[in-house]
Amino acid sequence: MTLDDPFSDAALVARAAAGSDAAFGRLVQRHQGAVRAFVRRVLGGDRAEADDVSQDAFLAAWSSLRSLRNPDGVRSWLCGIAWRKAQDRIRSRRRAATRDADWVEAVKASPGVHPQDRVALTAAMAELSPETRACVALCLAEGWSHSEAAVTLALPLGTVKSHIARGRARLLGALGGPDDA
Amino acid sequence: MTPDQKLEALFSADRPPARDFAFEIEVARRVAMRRAWLTAGALVPWSVVAAFLLWALDAALTPIIGGLADTALPLAMALTLAGSAAVAAIWLTRRFSAA
Repeated sequence: MTLDDPFSDAALVARAAAGSDAAFGRLVQRHQGAVRAFVRRVLGGDRAEADDVSQDAFLAAWSSLRSLRNPDGVRSWLCGIAWRKAQDRIRSRRRAATRDADWVEAVKASPGVHPQDRVALTAAMAELSPETRACVALCLAEGWSHSEAAVTLALPLGTVKSHIARGRARLLGALGGPDDA
Repeated sequence: MTPDQKLEALFSADRPPARDFAFEIEVARRVAMRRAWLTAGALVPWSVVAAFLLWALDAALTPIIGGLADTALPLAMALTLAGSAAVAAIWLTRRFSAA
């Protein structure tokens, strides 16, 4: 643990577990981007729902900070909690109700990104299995290593690799590239 | 633009901002709500114990002090209330002050 640096993840986790709101706030600030991006991609577009799930994940993390074995791996731990929350949400939600919101989110303009490509990517992501989406979200979108994703998602390394290969081929196919999945 | 570059650009465009005060505040609000419920829940057993002790004390002291109870009761209630509030405030301040 790197407790010498007062702003390291390990030090912040220790202070947050002792009751410091400031330390927990710093952890939220530092990791919200990764957690929200991951949940958005796993859930497939509805940002409000993804943020709600992300907030649930941070709340669950706050409740169980003392159970964190490796404070330096707090990002993986948070994403692991977010993954379980997202799985619960996927099981419970009704896809039809969110389809319109997904489309509106998909066509929101971003500089340098063609709305058609965005819609195609959103649709292709929605067709992937939740596990494949999670692997793609961590490794292709966020640049995590395969082994890091395997630990976070509690999946075997080989399974992660095959999910990524399959997902990447599908996504490239949707964007006009070769689809050899 | 190759499909690989497109994919990278799309993922980059979809990334949340590095800082999002609204999100951070909402998490803090939900944490505060959870803590308030936990605190209220933790105080329930102590309240029950305190109520039982006061009831037992009342039953034991009534025959001894008799008529004094009429004048002492309001004062005792005020002191108990003030003392409980002070102890709870000190405990909550120590437990949840930002380290």
